[in-house]
Amino acid sequence: MRRRSLPIVALALVAAGCSGSTDAAGAGGAPELAPITVEDFTAEIEASDRPMVVNLWASWCIPCRSEAPLLREAHDTNGDRIHFLGIATQDSPGDSVAFIDEFGLTFENRSDRNGDIRGWLGGVGLPLTVFIRPGGEILRTHFGVIDDAALALGIDDLLAEN
Amino acid sequence: MELTLLAAALTGAASVWATNRILADRIAVERPTDVLIGAAAVGLLVGRLAAMMGAGVNPLTSPGDILIVRGGVSTGFASIGAVAVLAWTHRSTLPGALDQLAPAAIAGLAGWHGGCLWRGACLGTSTELPWAMASAGTSVSRHPVELYAAVAFLVAVPVLAALVDRPWLASGVGLALAGGVRLATQPFRLSIVGGPVWWYGAAVAVGALLAWFGHSRTRTRPPGPDSIEM
Repeated sequence: MRRRSLPIVALALVAAGCSGSTDAAGAGGAPELAPITVEDFTAEIEASDRPMVVNLWASWCIPCRSEAPLLREAHDTNGDRIHFLGIATQDSPGDSVAFIDEFGLTFENRSDRNGDIRGWLGGVGLPLTVFIRPGGEILRTHFGVIDDAALALGIDDLLAEN
Repeated sequence: MELTLLAAALTGAASVWATNRILADRIAVERPTDVLIGAAAVGLLVGRLAAMMGAGVNPLTSPGDILIVRGGVSTGFASIGAVAVLAWTHRSTLPGALDQLAPAAIAGLAGWHGGCLWRGACLGTSTELPWAMASAGTSVSRHPVELYAAVAFLVAVPVLAALVDRPWLASGVGLALAGGVRLATQPFRLSIVGGPVWWYGAAVAVGALLAWFGHSRTRTRPPGPDSIEM
């Protein structure tokens, strides 16, 4: 391979990078997240008198790792006005708990082993972030990794209406 | 993220092509397409490594994660990596190369900010100004702050293109603009973690110094062969 072709090959490899999943086995005896079903989820958002930010993630999802510190920071700043809910999707219990510990997430997290909530929200991949008005109306669904500006905008939109 | 990077790459590449065509035989950048691709690849790698380490992921224990660009790229470190490649490959003709690529770099920044249209993150603080925009599903009108930055950078491209033959001037003005536009739009931005504001201030200061150096040099010295050919 000619030397000048190397940058093109490197770029193609980088462009081909995408998130994937692994069937990681859970650690035996590790604490587990409380499960959540679609029925639980819809009942919970309809009953909420606060706006909600719901983040669907998994420990095997690489982009989820980049947004976890951002969500922790957003919760630290706005947790008194907005209900943050994380949903570990199609993830093994032990790995989910390890992920939460690794990133120091202090907001509520539940487990959706089958990925039903993601399907109900119209999502295919992970991560997925939903901004929900009090009473359960979905303001916006952000598919894919969310960045600082998009998360701040969603939160500000929710707070501006309340 | 991917589409924003693509928008930045396309606008930057288009500007390199235009610079190459306009300057023709006076171009100081050897094989500009190769330089662009090499600098972009190294910049992406450096930016991705910085983003991983910032998120607490060790690249040595998770080398496969390096390829997951959508996991985040630190644009500041990516820029430093790309400029370092350029500086190394053109170390004997650096001022001319930097000046000639400055319009392309600023066009790339315009593409980066304009890429907000794809990821729905153009808007900033609320305002009642007539050109304010509301995000989908809300009635809250906001500053289209990323479009302010994109337009400012686009307007700057022809200005920089007119300065490329004056050593250090285009690169200095370009660097000062890159920091200045970010500083000027910072009050209109929404952020959870804040931005590296002091970096922008440093870019303005260093860019202004370079521009002053270039301006005084071309004013006190008659134009000679070295001012163009480097």
